[in-house]
Amino acid sequence: MNKALRFLISSSLLLLFVPLLGGCNDSSAPGTGSDPAQAEGNTAPPGRLFGASFQTLNNPFFVDLGNGLQKELAAHGDELIILDAQFNSLKQKNDLSDLILKDVAGIFVNPVNWEGLKGSLLEAQRKNVPIIIVDAPVKESDEELIVCTVASDNVRAGQLAAEALAKVNPKAKLVVLHLSVNKACIDRVAGFKETLQNYPEMEILDVQEAKGTTEGARPVMRDLIGRYPDLNAVFAINDPNALGVISALDSANKLDDVTIVTVDGSQAGIKAIQAGKLHSTSAQFPKEIGKIAAEKMLAHLNGEPVEKDVKVRVELITAENAEQHLEAD
Amino acid sequence: MKVVKQMVPLLAAIIILLLLFRIWVPSFLTPENMLNLTQQISVNTILALGMTLVILVGGIDLSVGAMVALVGTTTVYCLTALSGDTQDPFMLLTAILAGLGVASLFGIFHGIAAAKTAMPPFIITLASMLIARGCALRFNSGLPMPIKDEQTWFLAIGNGRLFDVVPYPVVIMLSLFLLMALLLHRTRFGQHVYALGGNREAALYTGIPIVRVEITVYLLCSLMAGVAGMIHTSQLYSAEPGSGEMFELTAIAAVVVGGTSFTGGRGTMFGTMLGAVIIGILDKGLNQAGVHYSLQYIVKGAVILVAVYLDVRRNR
Repeated sequence: MNKALRFLISSSLLLLFVPLLGGCNDSSAPGTGSDPAQAEGNTAPPGRLFGASFQTLNNPFFVDLGNGLQKELAAHGDELIILDAQFNSLKQKNDLSDLILKDVAGIFVNPVNWEGLKGSLLEAQRKNVPIIIVDAPVKESDEELIVCTVASDNVRAGQLAAEALAKVNPKAKLVVLHLSVNKACIDRVAGFKETLQNYPEMEILDVQEAKGTTEGARPVMRDLIGRYPDLNAVFAINDPNALGVISALDSANKLDDVTIVTVDGSQAGIKAIQAGKLHSTSAQFPKEIGKIAAEKMLAHLNGEPVEKDVKVRVELITAENAEQHLEAD
Repeated sequence: MKVVKQMVPLLAAIIILLLLFRIWVPSFLTPENMLNLTQQISVNTILALGMTLVILVGGIDLSVGAMVALVGTTTVYCLTALSGDTQDPFMLLTAILAGLGVASLFGIFHGIAAAKTAMPPFIITLASMLIARGCALRFNSGLPMPIKDEQTWFLAIGNGRLFDVVPYPVVIMLSLFLLMALLLHRTRFGQHVYALGGNREAALYTGIPIVRVEITVYLLCSLMAGVAGMIHTSQLYSAEPGSGEMFELTAIAAVVVGGTSFTGGRGTMFGTMLGAVIIGILDKGLNQAGVHYSLQYIVKGAVILVAVYLDVRRNR
């Protein structure tokens, strides 16, 4: 009796997942938001299925990018599955092969490791699944395996940040918080340093890794305050990093002495600018990146030629124009 | 026969899961998709095989994820330094042995520390997880190290296929499974492992060479992590110092879902294999069914809880 009971319990408990899984499959399969476009999509004839794999979804930037993709695809009656690689390259590789074997019409990838994607790209090529890279580029030698790259003009974003800093603090002694595994961040810092050459009085005291997250930046910044008493400016490579810097400076009571510039343009960043804690952020437009990537994919599937390197605009946000970039909740 | 009976619920769970996902994903049971599943679980399964031994003696090894990264960076560093742009079987072997050698050093250290001191294995391996991760990050200032395209043999470990059908990672996984199952269930060493995990004092008084057994167990676990690291690195076309985070936890999950008692002394390699398959099916099935990523976490957590609860209940 014991064995039969065990079997019954285990199978019935597993079966309990059926409605749970079924439920979520209907309501939220394609992603993150509940746009009206999706509801309309349900009445339209079933369209193609697309996939997306992001390095993380623990950053509003990628949630917005996913929404941008999904909205554009839904407008054409297509669906999108979004997967979270959790900064794990192996999970991303597995996620991508799952999507490829599911016969999706195309895949949008934001690589965890911009040099480690080749295996997946080859697999996609064998199955004729087109791939568009979003937000960050891949190795040059891998470019022939993809349709195109759609990303912010990250070099320009770094230049804007440097110019903004030079305007308020032309003799800045600054530190850079980097995420050097990420090509987008490498480009931002390159643009920043390039512009800095026009301002010989500015000096970079140190470049430190801060993981691109708020939690990552806080302890690093605390150390830097202790080490460089004359530090008076920070270039953080994204808004989450900048928020960590703000928190560290705030608790050391030094926020008023330090000018912080960054790249992102998230809602949290814009609110920090309005509160006077952050000087500026070179805004990216993730929804636009998503929308353009979706358009390029659809164009490619229609047999139209697509340019390899698509740059999406960036724009400097300071206290003067913060209001107009703030979205109504 | 007793072992087979214990496996019935796990096998039933696998069949039910496969059928469930077949409902949502019509192409789920195609040979190609199933072959891909076995390839995807290979790294975790190999880690879990080693972890089973450690958990059987009442220990734990938290360092396997970091070991995957360290073995990868060591091997790729040696490979690039030794052979440059050319291929040489001897240099490849040296690089692989260097990677496995580093893993063995850690494994032997774990074994000695666990057997000879009163330090809990949890803390020992927590410390060496940090040390191994730090060592991995010493290479190439913490940036990923790409493998040159010329190194086709090393790249074949993770990406090639035997007879153009079965991926090499699957071949390696199955061979290691057979090896470990024979070792655990058909040798004196295996009996010692169970005795040690069942009752340490009693094992000591019956004259079992506790220290030697424990060192071997931790050494094997680290070596398994080393092999998993080779496959992982090859699959990614680069060694990533930051990769392998949380791999230890997925491996532990496979072991406990497979029915190995967390306090030691009870469990089988076959169970672990099935546990890894269940977790693999869940990952793949939920992905392909288009389940929102937030719900994937919840479902996986719940399945682990249910599986372990049932296991604990029937063995009460």
